[in-house]
Amino acid sequence: MPLPMTSFLRQTLALTRSNLRSLPRRTGIAASMVLSVALVVIVLLAFLSMAQGFRRTLQSTGAQDIAVVTSRGAFSESTSRLSTRQIHMLEAAPGLARKADGRALTSEELLVPVDAIRTSDGQTATLSMRGVAPGGMALHEGLTLSQGHMFTPGSAEIIVGDRLAGRYRDLGIGQHISFGHSTWTVVGHFSAGGSAFESEIMADAGTVQAMFDRPGDIQSMRAKLTSAAAFPAFRDYVETTLDMGLSARTEKDFFAAQAGNVSRIILFLGWPLAVIMAFGAAVGAMTTMLSSVSDRLTEIATVRALGYARGPVFLATLAESLMLTLVGCALGSALAWACLNGFGASTRGAGNTQLAFQLTFSGMIVGQAVVLALLIGVAGGGLPALRATRIPLRIAMSGRG
Amino acid sequence: MDTIHTDIELASVSKSYPLGRSRVPIFEDLTLHIPTGDFLAIMGPSGSGKSTILNLIGGIDQADAGTISIGGTALGRMGERALTRWRARNIGFVFQFYNLMPRLSAAENVELPLLLTPLSARERRERVLTILDIVGLSDRARHLPSELSGGQQQRIGIARAVASDPRILLCDEPTGDLDRKSANEILDLLQMLNRELGKTIVMVTHDDSATRVARRTLLLDKGRFVARQEMPACA
Ligand SMILES: Nc1ncnc2c1ncn2[C@@H]1O[C@H](COP(=O)(O)OP(=O)(O)O)[C@@H](O)[C@H]1O
Ligand SMILES: [Mg+2]
Repeated sequence: MPLPMTSFLRQTLALTRSNLRSLPRRTGIAASMVLSVALVVIVLLAFLSMAQGFRRTLQSTGAQDIAVVTSRGAFSESTSRLSTRQIHMLEAAPGLARKADGRALTSEELLVPVDAIRTSDGQTATLSMRGVAPGGMALHEGLTLSQGHMFTPGSAEIIVGDRLAGRYRDLGIGQHISFGHSTWTVVGHFSAGGSAFESEIMADAGTVQAMFDRPGDIQSMRAKLTSAAAFPAFRDYVETTLDMGLSARTEKDFFAAQAGNVSRIILFLGWPLAVIMAFGAAVGAMTTMLSSVSDRLTEIATVRALGYARGPVFLATLAESLMLTLVGCALGSALAWACLNGFGASTRGAGNTQLAFQLTFSGMIVGQAVVLALLIGVAGGGLPALRATRIPLRIAMSGRG
Repeated sequence: MDTIHTDIELASVSKSYPLGRSRVPIFEDLTLHIPTGDFLAIMGPSGSGKSTILNLIGGIDQADAGTISIGGTALGRMGERALTRWRARNIGFVFQFYNLMPRLSAAENVELPLLLTPLSARERRERVLTILDIVGLSDRARHLPSELSGGQQQRIGIARAVASDPRILLCDEPTGDLDRKSANEILDLLQMLNRELGKTIVMVTHDDSATRVARRTLLLDKGRFVARQEMPACA
């Protein structure tokens, strides 16, 4: 043939057209294949958007000219401890922004877990309460009070992140809430540009140490640098010169590292589940496609007798499989989008405390779902398509249309 | 008529089918010569192997032994791809149950074999219209097979078989599912294709009136051919 490639394409298109038009004969089983793929896609998208939303939340947090110092190897602040001596040494570090009196702009902080009751289901959940040293609020840039006023150092007053305020009992302005043996008064609500801080409760560090019986306990130090460019010198001093088992990161890197860890955990849970479900869907797809092939035995044998090659027969069957999985993918994506995008969720964040965030969709995520759906289509359609090419052609003579 | 020779030659052909562990012979050592331009009707009891002979000539089934050659080309020597391409160029099939693609229109069905040729879309459309005209169904081009009568569907089947101008037509009981009137129209159409366009036709049939249009009729019985009637070959 002078144009074998064109002929191959024409054959494939003609068979695909005939094949797809005959789909209404198999509505039931085709629909079950579409639905099973849609289900897999919904599960995958739920996990991926959760991981993505989590990453977004933590990544929007953090300045480049604020350093966070923790003990080396601490995954989060809650597993870190700083001694008084270490803090004293840190205050002499180069690159620190200083007030007129020469004192460094730092905030010594600690996180304590506290229990609160969810309004939605009455269940107890663990939240993070951050103790911040006097003047330390200046180191939480982007944190603004949306209601009420700042806590007074030395008093049992707290301010509560906007994302917690409506979701837990007794966190309204002026309300009192008990954590363990201590009772606190809510004096303000704050927003923090959608960052992880919005999932925290904040109070005076000294009061937190006293109320929770943790005198002198400091987990991390935030330090304002003269500029982002001062960070490398600061880090060298902290990690190398001091050699006290400390680690320094910019606030931005600090949160990004945590985000990476947690979203990886979400993905490690999500992908295997999606893949197992995808295997199930592929088996279902194979059943559907085998029935499609047996439904078209005479048709396939006839076109082969007319001189159609095996390749186009294979591809036309595979095309049906891929088309059905793509419809399933579109359906699943649409449902997931409608139900999940922007849906608030919360998870156990760093230090086993609740972190609220929004599920976030993106083209990348939907792209991954499309790839998985196509893999299901190939896995489910491949064998039936191969079978279609092996049909004995004498069926054309004996079979009744 | 042109003189390209497409004689069909079956020499000592045997064919059996598997039954459990053994094989049951359909026929053994069968020899048959069909000259170019012949219109051969093969009759015989059900299960005698008539369809099998068409399958062997059309290259959609393989003989156990013996050679089948067409125009001097031995089919047994061809690979799967070559045989597929050879079928596209040389053989037109007409089936008892028409075997039209149910969701393709009459015109699209007739176009199917043309997609195997280098013809452009416009040339294909013109060819389809010409052939629909020959079989008398120009006004049914856009109809689905289910919207046509049995006789009309078989005429579309024949149009498809001759669309890419093969030299040989293999028809398996083409009137087996039709009423008398439609059957006669189909037989007349086949006779026209033989007499006027020079197609070599091998037709398996139970229809006694087939002998009216065929040049000769053979009876296949117990694996042997018996001549029923001779008519002058090649007008
Ligand atoms: N693949 C096969 N498996 C089992 N039996 C077969 C097979 N192919 C043909 N036969 C048998 O071979 C015999 C001849 O078949 P066929 O050529 O269709 O006969 P006819 O067309 O004359 O009715 C029949 O008995 C049929 O059942
Ligand atoms: Mg038969």
